[in-house]
Amino acid sequence: MAAARSLSPEAIVEELRISRLRGRGGAAFPVWKKWQVAQRIRSEQKYVVANADEGDAGTYCDRMIMEGDPFRLIEGMLVCARAIGATRGYIYCRYEYPAAARAMRFAIQKAREADLLDSDDYSFDLEVVSGAGSYVCGEETALLESLEGRRGVVLAKPPYPAESGLYGKPTIVSNVLTFATIPNILANGGAWHASLGTEGSRGTMAVQLGGRVKQPGLIEIPFGLTLRDILDRFGGGMAAGSRFKAVQIGGPLGSLFPESQLDIPICYDAFAEAGAILGHGGIVVYDHETDMVELARHFMAFTADESCGKCTPCRIGSVRGREILERIQSGQGTAEDLFLLSDLGETMKATSLCALGGRAPYPVLTAIEHFPNEFRSKLSAFSSQQ
Amino acid sequence: MRIRNKTQLAETLETCRPALLDNPNILKALLAIQSARGYVPTNAIPQIAQVLGVTEAQVAGVLSYYSDLRTQPPGRHLIRVCMGESCMANYGARVFRAIQEYVRMTVGDPTQAKRFTVEQMSCAGNCALSPTVMIDADLYGRVTPSGVPSLLEPYR
Repeated sequence: MAAARSLSPEAIVEELRISRLRGRGGAAFPVWKKWQVAQRIRSEQKYVVANADEGDAGTYCDRMIMEGDPFRLIEGMLVCARAIGATRGYIYCRYEYPAAARAMRFAIQKAREADLLDSDDYSFDLEVVSGAGSYVCGEETALLESLEGRRGVVLAKPPYPAESGLYGKPTIVSNVLTFATIPNILANGGAWHASLGTEGSRGTMAVQLGGRVKQPGLIEIPFGLTLRDILDRFGGGMAAGSRFKAVQIGGPLGSLFPESQLDIPICYDAFAEAGAILGHGGIVVYDHETDMVELARHFMAFTADESCGKCTPCRIGSVRGREILERIQSGQGTAEDLFLLSDLGETMKATSLCALGGRAPYPVLTAIEHFPNEFRSKLSAFSSQQ
Repeated sequence: MRIRNKTQLAETLETCRPALLDNPNILKALLAIQSARGYVPTNAIPQIAQVLGVTEAQVAGVLSYYSDLRTQPPGRHLIRVCMGESCMANYGARVFRAIQEYVRMTVGDPTQAKRFTVEQMSCAGNCALSPTVMIDADLYGRVTPSGVPSLLEPYR
């Protein structure tokens, strides 16, 4: 913040441009572009919103930041407020994180008492707001709807929140980890941040290792390490009695990787090329006991539960997908069902409004792609000849 | 008791009444009611709508949308078993079955009535310590099916 005070709002955005920081929530949008849009719009009221609706199963770094280093988030939001000229901020914290919400409220209180939120030339009003258990509220337009107290339904973009967000005002919505990275960038300079990582993915990534590894946990790595590196060096290999089967990256919408694809480097470009996402950096390892058909059904059922219902491909598609997988599970599926599933998946990918419907088919289709025998062996005897 | 609940509801609602020119916040009001009473009774929808200056349909819409808003009173303790991917990978489903079994065994005992409500949750963010069970606001990691009775015993 000390560094930010000596910089003009334009210079802060310039520093972020040099840093090449991309949003850490999942969409990986260049942060400076968003800020510049909000900065250039004249409005009597602008907002800064931290997305702490860390809904991806397998991720917890936002919770760790809020519970362990809440001032880092506050500082990042203050810098953003200064850069775009916002006077109000909200931290949208999921209902499942009562301890994080408590820690944040306490930290905000302390910051206010220390006059860090207000000074002669600016004032910033910051508040923690609780969600109520909706996964899709991690999508920025749904989050803003929820923040206004309505159903967390996804809206079509444009307009983007940076132009017209909360109550129709310019709003920067960023992930907790994105804001938490900003104090370091300003303290060390954008060039320092850009010197870490790979061509398209500068800086570091907090990956959260879970599932059947010996040593699960939160690790911060420079982009570019391979998936195998992470599992072996940091995860310590598989947990006792477990053999590797697959690993999923990017939460419930992330693709599954088999053993043969573990040499993929952790960076946005390599993952985009492989049709996968890094998402929020959750890595979950499944062992030999995992039933891939049940796992695929779990993912489709999750999307069916969490779909906001706004667009048809997601609302109907996820339910149909779950039904097909249940049919296969009960031994009544046919080879045609597998075609149907892949056709349905392609439709959902192409036509859904947001990433929930658009990404939901990936874990299911990659499960079928890498473990076809598990699905085929469950098909009804009549069709297995086809 | 009923009357007391009614005044209590009115008092909670009063704190949510939007100031002049302010936008009403339905979700915030429903969360406030739930935190005061443990749930949001559906028969309070007209009153909520009236205080907030919105339609009953809008209130009902928000109430039914969010899975953490409940319209039935929960048991004395709310057990939420994490069904996130990391907990799934670590056999969380077995823990869920063990908890259901334990709760079912105690159902016949009248002193145990309303003791527990058991639910699944999508992720508690405790993935490095999977599988996870959340009881009220307490988080427990590395729960095993055989450890379930001693885990639940203190929650009377």
